Amino acid sequence: MTDNVMPDAAVVRVTRSHSMSERTEVVVIGGGSTGCGVARDLAMRGVDVTLVEQGNLTHGTTGRMHGLLHSGGRYAVSDQASARECIEENRVLRDIASHCVEMTGGLFVKRPEDTEEYFQQKLEGCRECGIPAEVLTAEEAREVEPFLAGDIDKAIEVPDGAIDPFRLCVANAADAEEHGARVETHSPVTDVLVEDGEIVGVEVTHESGPGVRVHGTEGGTEAIYADHVVNATGAWAGRIGDMAGVNVEVRPSKGVMTVMNVREVDTVINRCKPKGDADIVVPHETTCILGTTDEEVDDPEDYPEEAWEVDLMIEELSKLVPMLEDARTIRSYWGVRPLYEPPGTGTTDPTDITRDFFLLDHADRDDLPGMTSIVGGKFTTYRLMAEKISDHVCDLLGVDADCETADVPLPGSDDFTVLRDYMDEFGLRSPIGRRSMQRLGSRADEVLRTDEPNPVVCQCEAVTRAELRDAIDQSGTDLNAVRLRTRASMGNCQGGFCVHRMANDLREYGGYDRATVDAALDELWQERWKGQRHALWGRQLSQAMLNHLLHATTMNRDGAAPEDFAAFDAGEADGAPAGVDGPGDAAGATAPDGGVPVDAGADEADRPDGGDAGGD
Amino acid sequence: MSDGHDTHHTDDDCGCSDAEATRPAGEGAVPDGGTATEAGGEFEPVDVFDGSDMDLRPGADSCYKCTSCDTSCPVAEVDDSFPGPKFQGPEQWRLKRKEDTEIDDSIMGCSNCMRCDGACPSDVPLSQMHNSARGEYVDNQMDKLSREYIRNRILANYGTLARVGSKVPRLTNAVMGNSLVQKINEKVLGITAERDFPEFADETFRSWWKRRGGPKVHSEEKRIAYFHGDYANYNTVEVAKALVRVYEEFGYEILVPDQRCSGTPMFANGMLDDARRSAKVNVENLGDAIENGYDVVASCTSCSMALRQEYPEQFDLDGTETVAANTYDALEYLLVHENVIDPIRAVDGDQLDLPDFAYHAPCHSRNQGLDRQAVELFRHLDGVDVEDVGDSCSGISGTYGWKEEKYDYSMEIGEEMFEHMEHAEGETGMTECPTCSMQMEHGTGYEINHPLEVLEKALVDTDVEV
Repeated sequence: MTDNVMPDAAVVRVTRSHSMSERTEVVVIGGGSTGCGVARDLAMRGVDVTLVEQGNLTHGTTGRMHGLLHSGGRYAVSDQASARECIEENRVLRDIASHCVEMTGGLFVKRPEDTEEYFQQKLEGCRECGIPAEVLTAEEAREVEPFLAGDIDKAIEVPDGAIDPFRLCVANAADAEEHGARVETHSPVTDVLVEDGEIVGVEVTHESGPGVRVHGTEGGTEAIYADHVVNATGAWAGRIGDMAGVNVEVRPSKGVMTVMNVREVDTVINRCKPKGDADIVVPHETTCILGTTDEEVDDPEDYPEEAWEVDLMIEELSKLVPMLEDARTIRSYWGVRPLYEPPGTGTTDPTDITRDFFLLDHADRDDLPGMTSIVGGKFTTYRLMAEKISDHVCDLLGVDADCETADVPLPGSDDFTVLRDYMDEFGLRSPIGRRSMQRLGSRADEVLRTDEPNPVVCQCEAVTRAELRDAIDQSGTDLNAVRLRTRASMGNCQGGFCVHRMANDLREYGGYDRATVDAALDELWQERWKGQRHALWGRQLSQAMLNHLLHATTMNRDGAAPEDFAAFDAGEADGAPAGVDGPGDAAGATAPDGGVPVDAGADEADRPDGGDAGGD
Repeated sequence: MSDGHDTHHTDDDCGCSDAEATRPAGEGAVPDGGTATEAGGEFEPVDVFDGSDMDLRPGADSCYKCTSCDTSCPVAEVDDSFPGPKFQGPEQWRLKRKEDTEIDDSIMGCSNCMRCDGACPSDVPLSQMHNSARGEYVDNQMDKLSREYIRNRILANYGTLARVGSKVPRLTNAVMGNSLVQKINEKVLGITAERDFPEFADETFRSWWKRRGGPKVHSEEKRIAYFHGDYANYNTVEVAKALVRVYEEFGYEILVPDQRCSGTPMFANGMLDDARRSAKVNVENLGDAIENGYDVVASCTSCSMALRQEYPEQFDLDGTETVAANTYDALEYLLVHENVIDPIRAVDGDQLDLPDFAYHAPCHSRNQGLDRQAVELFRHLDGVDVEDVGDSCSGISGTYGWKEEKYDYSMEIGEEMFEHMEHAEGETGMTECPTCSMQMEHGTGYEINHPLEVLEKALVDTDVEV
């Protein structure tokens, strides 16, 4: 990544903002999997690219999917072309994105009420599409996944996997930057520039100036002129189309994903029946994700998030994995699929709309050259989509270069098969070292090698300070971007025990001032709260209450008590009013429980980890 | 668990002999392919991992990260290299994927005092997670020829050693008490030379019982099967004899079934195969006794803890649940079924040759909700002052304090208890746990008694040899 030294860069940025303009060859709108994939592909072919994204990378649909790396099995009956693409790309991603992929394997589980006919169709379909598929008896399936229901009939085993969309997009964007691309997050497109019947660029509004985001930095607008614009905004494609004056009819369809606290299964569990809601459980990092629903909505940003959807996930999927019924969920989130069908198809049920993607060249379609929109499609084949779009754009620009994205590994996915004892090398306890390695892949060396103490900041997800600081280097004060890179605050306490530590490092390491750090912390905290609202019963409700008490009362983040340290009554020590010698002495003389001998306090202070036993 | 076993002071048939009295196994936690205790009753997992490996990740669902377990952990307080029970338990388990077999070696720092179980406000199966992780670590990662493994194996199988040693008790006592032998033990095996090896009794409890001709009292209604464990058999025989005399005084027929070590030191050292072998014998024999109308009582609170909690959590053996539900601490059982208080009140303590006591409640008795029973009972004994020295851990935790590298930690943990004992009026100690007793004696030089010995002195006419 670029070497951004925050405080200085921030100063430069302010002077650079306001009504700038820039020229590039291609502007890619949208920092999801498709946009990041296109940016990387074009940049590797030597094209000058600028990627703009309205929020964080993965802000749209990519960051709100269930993390399934399709084997193609799900499409093996209904859409064999997609199924074939999936298994092909599945194999490619295992190589080029190895640190984003966990090959869990997958099962299509048949319950007694599911038809034998469909089971056979699925099996044959898989085999026709070149997807390795084996039938397992109920007993064998339960040897793979002990928590499967006792009354299942049988299952088909396929090479499904889990993939981290955040890590994947970040790696694509990072590699694009390596190859000279410019990536601007938090920079929504506010206009598409049309001159003489041709699209010539876009106008973006930087929330906080260009470059990595720093809260409180003054933003501004920027016109980015380009030879070609790629509209890779998924469910938002219609909105960009409107700005350009063309009609791109995307039919956004929402789906819920419910996140469990632990991995009840280590294998992707699909229900073996034709389309249906609530038919998949994906083990994702430390959690399982239950999915999903499929409901057409009008607006990709404003739709109801309904409790029945969450209830449905748990109720239906408990039929496959009974323990889900009483298991703890930590949050739920919704995504909108950018479904598209060519005008006149007239499908009424969104689950019937094809998952294939469409490349709309507005020169041919609307007689408006200069822009290509990409709609439909699915995450697993993002690279293939990006390749086809890049081929198209290169044709238009007259660039003669081959696509290399199927062969060149992403940053972090280089081969590091030499077995080393990373835990010892980096002085990390084994589960922490292991998880860090799984997240960082071949970047582990550069990130984790440090001479400084490297305590665990997020205990739920085993994220150390070194990894956090690496993410801060990339993300400025955007703690949500830090979260996406590291998974810090994504575990069972949902940040209750680490968001303040993360924020503290913005101050300690980043050198940002209090107001900036507070704004960054509030934003992360709100984002964490958003998803938990859909999990507020039982144990997550208790967690939320504990989090509230810690932050609102102990840390006074609700601001209920004025921050007047002089007014603090430390009680009396040895008959004399405390505090007369200044706050430092008062703290030394008076223990919170009123009178532990001073040397006991000294002992505590001598301890390197300050007594936080779990923290190192 | 503090919600463990309430002591009912009624004479009618106690209805508490069911599983809910002891702690339920961790939610979703299934003893190696174990019993169908899941919600809905239809769930019965397959035994996939062949033996000791089980999936305890769902147990992390109950954790709020509140850190009560860490702040209650006596080891974390003194040993900076030990990351604490929250890391060892719910955090480490939650971070596991199926193919992950490596366990962090810090699990061997845990002393298995199980205080974290009691501290947790939310029933996270902490000690079960620790026991399982430790078992996996020892099985898969520990060098079986290492000094640590061999030393731990010896300590964990104390009963085997004792069986041999007690054949020639005087010789063994002389050899083990020799300071040169102690030095060699420390250098070669890593067993601390600071402690005096416990002396073997001239005659084991079981030989005495046999010589005595077994029970002197017969009853169809009141029957107990005595689980004495190794220590009361080989070392503190007077405790076992006190139990016999007290229970016979109350009209109980006593059975002394064949038995092996309860497994407590094996759990603490991750020797789950050894523990399973012992458990199998114990569950079979105690199960038979229960079928014949006996309830099981133990004089050691770690033994009763193992039978009640660790067996059902770790092993899927026929009858573990029945044994767990019908096992009691010896004093607890008596207080539940008999009126002990009135006879105690009738005694004039000043006439007895009894000192004042400094009482320490063992961590494992605390977890069974028994930490106040001795103090509350002897409050009614006039002229004998029994003072509770507080809720700290004695620090020895069975084999933990015997390890050379843990000895200093063990004494540092025990410091609070030693201090409070010094401050107490009594200059004799009292506790239910044999190793707490060793530690109390080691730290203060006091003689230490078991509550049953005091009860015997108060209620049984010991001039008559029985």
